[in-house]
Amino acid sequence: MNFKSNKFSTDNPTKILLTKFLKINWVIVLCVVFLGLVGVAALYSAAGGNWNPWAKSHLTRLIIGVFLMFIITFIHPKFFYKLTLISFLLGLLSLVFVNFFGVGSVQRWITIGGLNVQPSELMKFALILMLARYFDQLSKINFNRLFSYVIPILYIIIPGLIVISQPDLGTGLTIIILGFAILFYVGVSLKFVFIFLLTFISSVPIIWQQLYNYQKNRILVFLNPEIDSLGSGYQIIQSKIAIGSGGLFGKGYLLGSQSRLNYLPEKHTDFIFTLISEELGFFGAMTIILIFCVLIASIVKISFTVDTLFSKVIVFGVGLLIFLYLTLNIGMVCGLLPVVGAPLPLISYGGTSLFTILISVGVVLSINVHKNEA
Amino acid sequence: MKNNNQKILEQTLTRRFFFLSFLKTLVVGGISWRFFDLQIIENQKYKKLSNQNQFNYFIIPPERGRILDRKMRLLAGNMDSFSLVLNWSESLDVKALIYKISQIIYIDKKDLDRFYSSLNEKKNNNPKEILITRNLSQRDVSKLAVRNVEFPEITFSMSKKRVYPQGKIVGHITGYTGVFSKLDKLDSNVVTVPGLDVGKRGLEKFFDNELRGKFGRKRNEVTSRGHVIDTRIYQQTSSGEDVQVSLDMSLQAFAMQRLEMGNYNLTSIQNKVIKKQIEVNENISYIDNNFVYTNQANKIVNPHSGSVIVMDVENGELLCCVSSPGFNPNMFSNGISDNEWSVLKNNTRSPLLNRSMSGVYPPGSTIKMAVALAALESGIINYKTKFSCTGVKEFGTSNFHCWAKNGHGSLNLMQAIEQSCDVFFYELGLKVGIDKIAVMMKKLGLGQYYNIETDEKTKGVVPNIKWKLQRDGVNWTYGETLNASIGQGYILTTPLQLVTMVSRIANSKYAINPSLIKNNNNKEFNNLDINQEHLNFIKKSMEEVVLGKKGTAKKYKIGSKKVEMAGKTGTVQVVRITEEEREKGLIKNEDRPWKKRDHALFVGYAPISKPKYAISVVVEHGGSGSSVAAPIARDVFKNLFKI
Repeated sequence: MNFKSNKFSTDNPTKILLTKFLKINWVIVLCVVFLGLVGVAALYSAAGGNWNPWAKSHLTRLIIGVFLMFIITFIHPKFFYKLTLISFLLGLLSLVFVNFFGVGSVQRWITIGGLNVQPSELMKFALILMLARYFDQLSKINFNRLFSYVIPILYIIIPGLIVISQPDLGTGLTIIILGFAILFYVGVSLKFVFIFLLTFISSVPIIWQQLYNYQKNRILVFLNPEIDSLGSGYQIIQSKIAIGSGGLFGKGYLLGSQSRLNYLPEKHTDFIFTLISEELGFFGAMTIILIFCVLIASIVKISFTVDTLFSKVIVFGVGLLIFLYLTLNIGMVCGLLPVVGAPLPLISYGGTSLFTILISVGVVLSINVHKNEA
Repeated sequence: MKNNNQKILEQTLTRRFFFLSFLKTLVVGGISWRFFDLQIIENQKYKKLSNQNQFNYFIIPPERGRILDRKMRLLAGNMDSFSLVLNWSESLDVKALIYKISQIIYIDKKDLDRFYSSLNEKKNNNPKEILITRNLSQRDVSKLAVRNVEFPEITFSMSKKRVYPQGKIVGHITGYTGVFSKLDKLDSNVVTVPGLDVGKRGLEKFFDNELRGKFGRKRNEVTSRGHVIDTRIYQQTSSGEDVQVSLDMSLQAFAMQRLEMGNYNLTSIQNKVIKKQIEVNENISYIDNNFVYTNQANKIVNPHSGSVIVMDVENGELLCCVSSPGFNPNMFSNGISDNEWSVLKNNTRSPLLNRSMSGVYPPGSTIKMAVALAALESGIINYKTKFSCTGVKEFGTSNFHCWAKNGHGSLNLMQAIEQSCDVFFYELGLKVGIDKIAVMMKKLGLGQYYNIETDEKTKGVVPNIKWKLQRDGVNWTYGETLNASIGQGYILTTPLQLVTMVSRIANSKYAINPSLIKNNNNKEFNNLDINQEHLNFIKKSMEEVVLGKKGTAKKYKIGSKKVEMAGKTGTVQVVRITEEEREKGLIKNEDRPWKKRDHALFVGYAPISKPKYAISVVVEHGGSGSSVAAPIARDVFKNLFKI
């Protein structure tokens, strides 16, 4: 190992870079860039064929983000391991900070240097890192002891509850589901899985009571959109109309009447996929979903080739994170899930979620690039 | 041990990985199925919903056709007007919006009521245009336009407002239009749009389909907030057809004025005596704002009410058809207020009644030609048969009086018509019998509807034995025959029927029917089927009424070498005069209350040599036919023949 690293250090830095560059998983990069550009095109259409206000800045962010992703790719995963605790604590701090000094009627953003940042998005990746670090010493952990779960569950529950109380049910639940899915992945004994499930089901009434009225309302409206066809049900009804009227090949790019005439709410953020489905039809929607699947599969596939549990968990977690983003968002716009506020990764307008994904993917790429080094 | 542990762990991870991947695949599959369901299976349903969102379909009302007189003068036309229209959509707070608008401009309560009722009538929740008001002034428009940003949901539309330049002179004939309401029975294929004008009365109603034209269609593209961003007309409107009527507006205007004036004087309100009367009297009808009508005693009087109709005896076209008092149809196109409406409705002179066509009056002595013709046709008398008049005919227990207290002595038929001897016609009636008189009256056009271009028609009454039995279950009495012989009692006619009767006599050949439309050539008239010689004799008698030494209208000759009129006067008693009153001496007509005064009638035709026009004049409670109605007829003829 020393020998190896010595050899590397004596090598020409350009050569090292080139070697790493060739080891990059280009399928992942292509998928990410393509989806990001789909986002630019969709946002151009959402503004009625205008670069402003969304498409241009999305493109700018995409370029910066992809650049950042490449930089991260060349950083050794050891470095992330070291950063884990700090990033998790910073994430928690900023979440608490948001609850006190947040911007907007719902406190989700903090302003850093003129940029609105949504810490709850970054928290998702920080949680993956934190759990990965915890389970890296998996061999020392006895999964048959209940106590072993206390710490990771705290890692999950604390940020999850803070986010839910912002209130942001969608992101909060994503964090919790993400965490528990990772717990399941690393081999929690099935006995405890059932105990968790039972506890969760029995606590549903309690959670229901803790929910804000608008959250309860959203869930009720989700179950029956007609009860509030002008309020929160309106979004889902109009979204379904837009998707359904798209048909096989859609109404044509820039020609979606539902979005152009403002019947679509939040068409640039949470409901961007509705716009795509309306303009490009079933064909277009399925193509996008397929590319996401390719992306996710390419990411999680890496978990078989890496050695450390730290890397495995991160790779699996990032794949899961993108999957959760995707299904929550698409499930929401087509009326399968309640309107909880979940962006479509890489496509929806919004810097934090874009950067979260690009950073996560950058880390995954880095793990892949450095996998055969000790 | 460690290696073994590692192996077990690897296996667990792989198993869990595939289990979770399987779950993920299921979820993605479920979502894909959902999209397949929405976009492929239910595509049509959502396409329709999306269309309903995107487009509002509207119907554009066409420009209504004009109504013109025989010389192409405008009776009803269209004027530009501004309407305020609300682009209603489900999410709109209508009440708040209307409140805000009414802070800026005045909206009539009636308009608001109509607006709210059409708001509640809508069948579904699709966005649509609802008319708020159609009487915006230029000022209102600019007031609202500068604040248009606040009310994106309202738009102005240029619409056409119906105008009637002739005003009340011909209001009964043109009728008026109004906004469509549920009460209007239209063809089921007529689409109704907000603010659609439909004919409510008169020609406007009768020719509603022809005047209306064909609807256009347009499609608005609207945003979720109701902003219209694109409009496309995909079916052009086509204007309604013009309708040309047979009326001559100059004659109509003259006849109206002449009828209302009667024998009254036109006096300036500057006159001292008049000024005093104006101070104490509230309801005064001003003439041209500066004059009033006064009677012999210099007292302010109301204009006469009644009817003047002139008809072409060859083709039945009406050249003038006046009913007084009239109403101004423009009041209706401006949206008549409740107050204006109740004034019209409660006016004791009933200005809304079209007296010419649906006012019924006993014909009085104007019926005598029909009785004479019935007698001649049945061969009961000849031209020379004479009866003696002593001023009263005693019959049973009652006395039947002649208008001449001392009687006319012995006279023949022609003299009896000339002098309008009542006793002669009592004798004639008794001999002929009511049934034969009724048949002749029907032949001459009484007691029936005509196929004329209006919905306001009255049949009148031509009584006979069967009619009485059916109506009252009582037998006809001879006394009633006596009354009927001089046009009193049950018999009722409209002025239109009287002019038709005279037209048929004057034409002598065909049973002419009246018409309000010019060149309505496809009308074929039936033969009159009355002995030509008898008709000529009757016409000669009618000439004597004007030209004879003892003629009842001898004072009112036209006096032109070319044109002279023939006719028959009629004075209709409205209240029964008892024997006591008769012995005390009759109270002069002018001294009775208006409602109890006699109706003055005149029917006639001109020129004598070759009859062209027939006339009927009815002056309600105007006095005697010879002194009030006959001069009106003469002056109308003079105007018509430019003498």
